[in-house]
Amino acid sequence: MSTQHPPRQGPRYTRRDLLRFGGLAVPALGASWLLAGCGGPSAASAAGNVLRVTQSEDPKTLDPQKQGDMPSMNVLINMFDTLTSRDQRNRLAPRLALSWASLDEHTWRFRLRPGVRFHNDEPCDANAVKFSLERLLDPSTASPIVELRYVAGATVIDQHTVDVHTSQPDPILPAKVSLFGGVIVPPNYLDRVGSDGFAREPVGTGPFRFESWERDHELRLRANPTHWSGKPALSGLVFRPMPNPASALAALQSDEVDLVANLTPDAARQLDGYAGVTIDSYPGIRTAYLSLNTEDGPLRDRRVRRALNHAVDVPLLIDAVLDGKAREVPTMIPRESFGFDDSVTPFTRDVALAKRLLAEAGYPDGFDTTLTASNDDAQVAQAISGLLRKAGIRASVNLLDPGTYSDRLTSDNRAALGPIYLAASTGWTVDGQSNVQSNVRRDRRQSRWRSREADQLIDAQELSTSDSERLRAFGRLQRLLKEEAPFVYLYQLDSIFARNDRPRWRPNVVGSLNMASAEVTDG
Amino acid sequence: MAELTVRDREGSPGKSAEPRTGAGAGLLRGIATKLGTALIVLFCVATVSFFLVRLSGDPVKLLLPPEATVEQEATLRASLGLDRPLLVQYLDYLAGLPKLDFGTSLFYDQPVAEVLFGRLPATLLLAGAAMVVCLLIAIPAGIIAALRRGRATDSGVMAGVLIGQSTPPFWVGILLILVFAVQFQVLPASGYGTFAHLILPAITLAVYSVAVIARLLRSSLIDVLGSDYIRTARAKGLGPRGVIVGHGLRNASLPVVTVIGLELGSLLGGAILTEQVFSWPGIGRLTVEAITNRDFPLVQASVLFFAAAFVVVNLLVDVSYTLLDPRVRLRS
Repeated sequence: MSTQHPPRQGPRYTRRDLLRFGGLAVPALGASWLLAGCGGPSAASAAGNVLRVTQSEDPKTLDPQKQGDMPSMNVLINMFDTLTSRDQRNRLAPRLALSWASLDEHTWRFRLRPGVRFHNDEPCDANAVKFSLERLLDPSTASPIVELRYVAGATVIDQHTVDVHTSQPDPILPAKVSLFGGVIVPPNYLDRVGSDGFAREPVGTGPFRFESWERDHELRLRANPTHWSGKPALSGLVFRPMPNPASALAALQSDEVDLVANLTPDAARQLDGYAGVTIDSYPGIRTAYLSLNTEDGPLRDRRVRRALNHAVDVPLLIDAVLDGKAREVPTMIPRESFGFDDSVTPFTRDVALAKRLLAEAGYPDGFDTTLTASNDDAQVAQAISGLLRKAGIRASVNLLDPGTYSDRLTSDNRAALGPIYLAASTGWTVDGQSNVQSNVRRDRRQSRWRSREADQLIDAQELSTSDSERLRAFGRLQRLLKEEAPFVYLYQLDSIFARNDRPRWRPNVVGSLNMASAEVTDG
Repeated sequence: MAELTVRDREGSPGKSAEPRTGAGAGLLRGIATKLGTALIVLFCVATVSFFLVRLSGDPVKLLLPPEATVEQEATLRASLGLDRPLLVQYLDYLAGLPKLDFGTSLFYDQPVAEVLFGRLPATLLLAGAAMVVCLLIAIPAGIIAALRRGRATDSGVMAGVLIGQSTPPFWVGILLILVFAVQFQVLPASGYGTFAHLILPAITLAVYSVAVIARLLRSSLIDVLGSDYIRTARAKGLGPRGVIVGHGLRNASLPVVTVIGLELGSLLGGAILTEQVFSWPGIGRLTVEAITNRDFPLVQASVLFFAAAFVVVNLLVDVSYTLLDPRVRLRS
């Protein structure tokens, strides 16, 4: 029996041949992938004076005016200089600006450091400052940086002097340009390469120059030998994002990174006692509080709100949940911030007194309520709920994913997060204004309290350029916040780092990863 | 619609077989029809993902700090084009798709295609390596278990793969890191770039799929080895190797190939936990971040990528059927 086939016109393959080829192709393809992997960039090396740092996230972009989050700023602050800075003692200090002064209520004059050049040798002068501020404020930049909301424009006075105009008095403008909005970018370079090119190969004036970036894997910087403050002690800096804290700690233990930044107290506790690993805890600025809806239910009564403050044993909370890595605060203004009044003391923690106040207010058996928090703060919320229960306040915990939490926090419905919610403010300007700007004055979206006096005090500290006037307003505001208790005041969190024996570095209270002064020791 | 047709077992290939060129044309027609269907599927996925992701909330709320004013939110919303009518945004999105223009990522301020395809090598590398590891373990395990059916070896092998399947990948990953990176320091704990970086994540990712494939191969092989034609092959004096590899494995492979295809699809998109644990810069991790950040254009493109990956893998599986089994034809 035979089958007729058309005449062959070249090589023909049977199904069996194809199968064989297919079988060979699979390992060949696999091998090519593996080889491709071998040829890729090598992992961060500990050789030389290179410091390897890990944090949970990579920068969102390397264009400093198109980001507004700390993980991005932590990287960018090493490539870019800001107009001002915070020194190790948390004082506002010169950086690109040598000095600044308020000319009138609507003008700040900055005198710039002469001779500063960008990494591409372009001069960093008053024109660059004007260009940077205008680019930031241009809606087409779509910048998420919001602090410079009152800046109306800038005028170049001479090569090293620039006036910044504001639409209303902005007494803390110099503090606001110590991070995000204060970054100066190179006008000519941006003009030449455009925003996309700038984000791909950023050029700043900072102590480190951009070398390479493989998103979500590794970002490499090398020392800028011509930095105005001198060449950094480090020859290079490597940032590696590690979203999983357990992996970051394993990488530290296996000598793949030198410094793990911004750990939670819980993660830091896991490393306690491991040889070669040191946990450093520094005072931080992030301040937590409970927002109370003073316009509805039992929380309308000041006695009930004070009872809550007496019931939440903050020192116990810090010890039990935060492993001691936080500090109690009397109100919402952290200790290092301008305006902090140390004559205002924290509430005494007294459950009996809390019960008595509740009884006086007509709640001898306590009451039922809800405590809302973001998933990230689940442990703290649960612990607070437990502490409130001791005084008879039965607060069921409602946990939300961070996105939903954020939506409700800034929604027009001020009761969207329920009667009580756990919140925190970072306040990196190290001025009390940042901590009370969006939650006290009645017209602000997160305010759930009506107090004409508080509104006037907010206005006084926001609009006055006199330090003494602002201090007086802050002092009175903190006493009022304690008397009226529209919030439950909790703690300011420490910045926690894990490191091996190599790094020599400490952050200031803001906790940004500015590595200009960092050193490494081998051996 | 394209469909798979299995010709009657008794059908005489000599009489009914079309000329080779006809078979090739039929295969091409089948593939073309499948591709047409795939485009419709991808269009539906693009549409559903576009509208669904917008139910998750406002990305501007996550882009800006809570201190932002209503005016600042409105300005940013307008700058990002999110204030335009939904239909206009949708038509814009559709118009870009043929050019692989998925828009600009809201968070990374970079073309979505650049962000997504930048992660593709890492994802393909991990999925490919995991599949190689998986097949290297699963195929021998399935064969051994089938040949030693009911004996201690069978139970041992199946228990082993089941333990693998029941263990969460993040736990396996951490365990491997603790042993090989922290304790013995022979492999890196995390990262990407060298062959050494690939080993632990590939094993972690493969562990789950090993059980799926090994179990299916075992049952399929047991079924096939009891067939008449195997008995006939043995009666003809064919050795055990020829019987198992030449007849048993070949015939048992059809359902296994389907599952391998599905598993490969899952490996391409489902490596999220493994990527988190090993800080692997793949598409899974990127997608999770995009969802968390409400990065609409990036989420849409990622979903489309996963759908396309499944469609392509399924098509390859269908084509491989025709190569594995002469009775199977792709038909329009």
